[in-house]
Amino acid sequence: MTDKSQEKIGPETFFADWMKMTTELWDPMAWMWSAFHKTTGMMPDSIKYGKRPRMQESWDTAQKTWQAFSQVMSEPETMETFLKGAGMLPEIFSKMAQTGSKTFVNFQKQWLERTGKLQESTKTYNYEDLKEDAFKAWTELYEKEFSKLFHIPQLGLTRFYQEKMLRSMDNFNIYQATLAEFLRLLFSPMEKSFQVLQEKLAELVDEGQLPEDSKAYYQMWIKILEGHYMTLLQSPEYTLALNKTLNAMSEFSEAKKEVLQDFLNMLHVPTHKEMDELYKEIYLLKKRIKDLEKKNKNPV
Amino acid sequence: MTQPKIAIDLILSKLAEDAEKARTRAEKASEVLLGPLETEIATTPCDVVYEEDRVKLKHYKPATKIQLKRPLLLVYALINRETMLDLQPGKSVVQNFLQEGIDLYMIDWGYPTRKDRYLTIDDHVNGYIDNAVDFILKKHNLDKINLMGICMGGTFCVIYSALHPEKVQNLVTTVTPTQFDTDQGLLHIWMKDMDVNQIVDTYGNIPGDIMNLAFLLLNPARLMIDKYVGFLENMDNKKFVENFVRMEKWIFDSPDVPGETFRQFVQDCYQKNLLIQNKMEIGGQCVDLKKITMPLLNYYGKYDHLVPPEACEAITSKVGSKDTENVCLDTGHIGIYVSSKCQKEFVPRIAQWLKERTADKKKRKTKKTSRKKSVAKKTATKTKPALKTKKNK
Repeated sequence: MTDKSQEKIGPETFFADWMKMTTELWDPMAWMWSAFHKTTGMMPDSIKYGKRPRMQESWDTAQKTWQAFSQVMSEPETMETFLKGAGMLPEIFSKMAQTGSKTFVNFQKQWLERTGKLQESTKTYNYEDLKEDAFKAWTELYEKEFSKLFHIPQLGLTRFYQEKMLRSMDNFNIYQATLAEFLRLLFSPMEKSFQVLQEKLAELVDEGQLPEDSKAYYQMWIKILEGHYMTLLQSPEYTLALNKTLNAMSEFSEAKKEVLQDFLNMLHVPTHKEMDELYKEIYLLKKRIKDLEKKNKNPV
Repeated sequence: MTQPKIAIDLILSKLAEDAEKARTRAEKASEVLLGPLETEIATTPCDVVYEEDRVKLKHYKPATKIQLKRPLLLVYALINRETMLDLQPGKSVVQNFLQEGIDLYMIDWGYPTRKDRYLTIDDHVNGYIDNAVDFILKKHNLDKINLMGICMGGTFCVIYSALHPEKVQNLVTTVTPTQFDTDQGLLHIWMKDMDVNQIVDTYGNIPGDIMNLAFLLLNPARLMIDKYVGFLENMDNKKFVENFVRMEKWIFDSPDVPGETFRQFVQDCYQKNLLIQNKMEIGGQCVDLKKITMPLLNYYGKYDHLVPPEACEAITSKVGSKDTENVCLDTGHIGIYVSSKCQKEFVPRIAQWLKERTADKKKRKTKKTSRKKSVAKKTATKTKPALKTKKNK
């Protein structure tokens, strides 16, 4: 084997030969396709009207591109450059893998930090009994950490719809969290009243004055319960929770309405917003007419 | 042998006795609940003589000879319905007024829909109330009528009387809030920090169910538990069941409140307390309480948890009239109108007060002196519901 022949079986010539073979394979396929139409007579409408079929046209274009590409690639200089680049591939892949793994590790780290904040929050409140402040802690944690996820900027044609949907989901979560906190507060007098009743009954047992009538126990309990409610309902804590819940409910309701409005718009159904605009116009017109009528009745 | 600390035998025997009673009661209750019940409300015959949008003006058919030439117009609140004044025959404020020979009109605010969300206090006071008053004046060929307001309707009447004093002969306010800066009532506490803009912008009108829930939360132990325990204990009593159902029908018949009216009422009254300071503006006009120069009778309940006495009593000292009277009854917000004890006193006293102010001045003076004495006696012996009366004449 001469040096020349050795050169011929190198990777450069191998690729050039492979490309030539591929071109030779696909070329008859294109010919077969047009022959098929001619033999069967199943010609597309475009041929009937003296035009080349769209499939044929696309095929020819692709083939021309391939031929041009293979011609360039067959040149030994191009192939040499390509092979050099291919030699660097493992390095590029390794870099990409490193970036990917770094991103993953960072992402995981952030989540771990968030989870850690859950523990931090519980520590900050330092409650011994988890149920007491659990809802409050969860609400605050949600607002600080998880709510952010629903505020990631949306992209693309449907970004406004996505944003509205995410906002309504976020507001629903906030509403549920504040409602849970409010209900916990609202039911706390129940729990306390039973505790106080038990203590009172223990005292009565000690004094030997336990009532015989079962209704007396109920009366005792309802009085204690009423007292606890009166204290709770006047407290700033309750007012705050009530207002927070009402606001959260309104915000959720508003966000839900916006999503619904989009659907109603698609269905060509008038929305509240549109009807309100109309109502306002009617209201103003009616008011104007009534004023004019009054002025007309009692001219100054 | 020492006495046991817990008389278990007695407790158990009482329990067995109660269980037996409950069984008998349940048997009777099924007969009552499954049988015919008279639970209709607002049955006193009347005609709708004027209508504007959702608002109707009812004119009640006289039960006896009309004794006052000036009719009395009742203005109820926008919260709940005016049917409370005519809950059942024999226990009806409306019927009692008719029995006293009063020519009676009442505004029925109807059920606001979404299109009513832009209606303001101005539209209710200078619009609907004023048009109803004009209609009555024209029909009876009079220049003035007697006006009586209930709760928020009372506040509307105060505003109306300040803006149109020339059309009001006498003003009666009942459980009417005018001084909102108080921490006595839970509503006053809750409303102070409420973000009313957000709620109104979201809902348009304030849903009646939300309002009702808020009222139940004013005393959950009594209104959500004890009340129904009381029902269970008396459900074998037909009359009790009928009255209970009538009351339930009224309580949970809650129209929505027009959004803009609610916004203004909360902001100007509950949050800024403008009315009592003569700073409230209605339809571009400042409401000056000094312009209320007609006689004023102001009723309120000592145990009212919705509109506490502190929110009601200040009005008599702020108006321009020298003929004013505060009457505090030993009852709550609704008790004034529905309790048997108050029914005996409430309407006859208002009717008497109106009649006195229609009679000539000489007669009035004599009656006033004698009434003062009788009121003082009542207050001293505490045998009547009237707890406190303050006259400023």
